[in-house]
Amino acid sequence: MTINTNLYFKELKRYRKFFLAWSISISVLIVMELAFYHIFMKEEMVKMMATFFENPFMKNMMTAFGTSLDVLTNALGYYATRNAIYIILLGPFFSIMLAGKILAREEHEKTAEFLLSKPITRLEIVWSKLAAFLTYLLLLSVMLLLAGSIGLEIFKGESVYRRSAFFVHSFYFFLLMLTFGAIGLFLSLLIKRGRPITNISIGIVFGGYLIDVLSKATQSASKFGYISPFKFVDSGILRPDYGLEWWRVLYFLGISLVLITLTFFIYKKKDILI
Amino acid sequence: MYVIETQGLTKFYGKDRGIIDLDLKIETGEIFGFIGPNGAGKSTTIRTLLGLIFPTSGSGRIFGMDIVRETKEIKKQIGYMPSEVNYYEKMDGQELLRYSANFYGKDCESRINELADIFSLDLNRKIIDLSRGNRKKISILQCLIHRPRLLILDEPTTGLDPLMQAKFFDILREENSRDTTIFFSSHTLSEVQKMCRRVGIIKEGKIIAVEDIESLRKKQLRKVQVEFAYPVKSGEIECTGVIASQAVENNLHFMFSGKMGDLLNNLAGKDIKDLIIEEPTLEEIFMHYYSEEKEHNKKS
Repeated sequence: MTINTNLYFKELKRYRKFFLAWSISISVLIVMELAFYHIFMKEEMVKMMATFFENPFMKNMMTAFGTSLDVLTNALGYYATRNAIYIILLGPFFSIMLAGKILAREEHEKTAEFLLSKPITRLEIVWSKLAAFLTYLLLLSVMLLLAGSIGLEIFKGESVYRRSAFFVHSFYFFLLMLTFGAIGLFLSLLIKRGRPITNISIGIVFGGYLIDVLSKATQSASKFGYISPFKFVDSGILRPDYGLEWWRVLYFLGISLVLITLTFFIYKKKDILI
Repeated sequence: MYVIETQGLTKFYGKDRGIIDLDLKIETGEIFGFIGPNGAGKSTTIRTLLGLIFPTSGSGRIFGMDIVRETKEIKKQIGYMPSEVNYYEKMDGQELLRYSANFYGKDCESRINELADIFSLDLNRKIIDLSRGNRKKISILQCLIHRPRLLILDEPTTGLDPLMQAKFFDILREENSRDTTIFFSSHTLSEVQKMCRRVGIIKEGKIIAVEDIESLRKKQLRKVQVEFAYPVKSGEIECTGVIASQAVENNLHFMFSGKMGDLLNNLAGKDIKDLIIEEPTLEEIFMHYYSEEKEHNKKS
């Protein structure tokens, strides 16, 4: 394993704006949503909505999204439910898109001809780009962690929550994003001439999310949900025994490891067509 | 030891032909011209040598190192200039060249500035804002700044104006005088003629000839143009060695590879107003090569 620092820092610079735009947007959305929790509790909107939530259809809907009124009224439960849209969808979007272009773009924009004429091996290229991707993934995770904890502390009000549950939940999201990154990296190599995979990426993230939602809503489809990585994020954040479960961690790490290994293997042998 | 040596180097893209059974031997300090029409396999050869694509069969060595397994070591010694310049558009010239130089772990600042001066190139402009010719100049600098021992140039002059071309050729000669080997790929023969001592001709993926420029010229092929006092037909002169004869009104154009005395004897009895005998350009020699090759194939 060798990282070419010249390439690594160039990649960091190249995707700096992409990273900043996404990470700041998601962080701001998280804090804003938590501010809304504050209003939600303070104005007693919950009570006004209680009857509405009692309606069987709404109850089912809420189960599908992995929540209930009890969960929503807790700051952390609210965070895990409402912010899900931002972290659970935008996080993987960021990840799959960045990973999907970090390697393939050189081929698509034909700069691979420049890069590959320099003294650097194919494996060093993948290592360096993977390192740049992981750097931004870690930075994003840290930012989300900060935005979440700061937002929770400011707006929690009377609500009590376990901080460790928040960290475990955040770690699952990190693993989820890592998995989608690995999927993006792998898929981008299967496309000829490195054409962008943005549409496919959106489809995969949305598709995976919908499968998870549907599998939670209907008993018959619950097994079907396991084809989606989202299924492996434990959303029962208010359970007293909520913690890291090894099989979930293993699932994410396993898939990522397999796909990244395949990426190395394919890129080492691939004809780069300009 | 040869600088570049390939044995039976073959590349197929699926079923499509790239190059077939390429045998090349290029010596240290040589300027080798690599000539062929578009789609003949020139770029495929170069990209295989550089490890962008992998050979289907056969092998290649550069500085004695294997082009597949030791590609990183090889590239430390190579400067490559692609036919189409595709760089990171948001970088400016300075950034790109520093990025390039860093791969070699060398400080190339003074060489960058020296060459930028020669080519009057503004290094502070972003690649995306540069004209085709200026991008080409960046490409020249990129391939020269780290003082490589082998230059691989793919159609290097397209997009350069004649003045810049001349400066570029001067620099190439200067590099060559320090024993830098140059592999010069082109479909324009006249520029190869200016630079190279030896040429390889590639056609439909195969090398059809490797010749000294001088011996090519000395093949005694002459271009003849005769103006008669009367309208002529293409068969006006019956003499061995007349090739591709064409008549336009009173004029007869043809290539001649026979004995000059025979031709003059043949012409002596005719009413001739003008006679021009000149050395053909390499293009014409190669056209001749190609047509001979075709005829040969037809016969066999």
